[in-house]
Amino acid sequence: MKNIRAMAGGIAAAAIMSMAGFGYAAAQPGDFSTLPVDPNLITDSLAYNAAPAVYNPNGQAGIETVYTHRDGSRTITTTVLVLPDAQAATAALDGARAGLVANGTSQPAAVGSGGTMLTGMSPDGSKSVTVLSFAEGNTATTIEFAGAPKDPAPSDLVLELGRKQDTAIRDWQAS
Amino acid sequence: MRKFGMALVIVATMSGSVVTAQTAYAAQSSHDTNVYTQPAVSVAPKVDMLDCRGTTGDMGCGPGWFWRDGWRGWACYPC
Repeated sequence: MKNIRAMAGGIAAAAIMSMAGFGYAAAQPGDFSTLPVDPNLITDSLAYNAAPAVYNPNGQAGIETVYTHRDGSRTITTTVLVLPDAQAATAALDGARAGLVANGTSQPAAVGSGGTMLTGMSPDGSKSVTVLSFAEGNTATTIEFAGAPKDPAPSDLVLELGRKQDTAIRDWQAS
Repeated sequence: MRKFGMALVIVATMSGSVVTAQTAYAAQSSHDTNVYTQPAVSVAPKVDMLDCRGTTGDMGCGPGWFWRDGWRGWACYPC
């Protein structure tokens, strides 16, 4: 009888610890670490090195991560901002794109809500720049691809990474 | 006398024909106005399927593709 009680107590304790553990593992408000999608998912798996993530860039809730190509000639900067609501997220997109591309051409992109792909040169003309921006719920995302002037990011790569990022955001929101 | 006349006529006729024929031939060969041209040979458009390096592609990329370390890392990229 004593053994049975001890066994039941152990099982209950294990169940409580497991539930607490699962709760801790789930995304918490303000836990943005799982948001950025590593571009190596769609490359040869070793092409990019991630810099330490910047949490709440410019004082805005969210996360920013810079991925640099191993040859140093290309960077992918993913910024996901978390805003109070969807309207604020959509409104934030214009501000997020501002100043990144000079004399760029804009076209709709089938990613998230209000997806836009802006292609051109950096303001100083030293780099090609493509910026994909979109909203998803209360998040505003920009993914900036910067490379050599004659080596712009292929649009299929831009869209593929953008869609994976959109999926990751929706998964994060649902968790 | 009659035989001699006949022979003279025959010789004159034959020699006249030969002289005339040579003259005509000479005239034709020295004033040839024909224009000879090379016969046209119909050739279909030719496409050399070569990659950026002038070969048929490294790493199995195939024609028109180039193996390099690009946006997707090491992969085949269009020329």
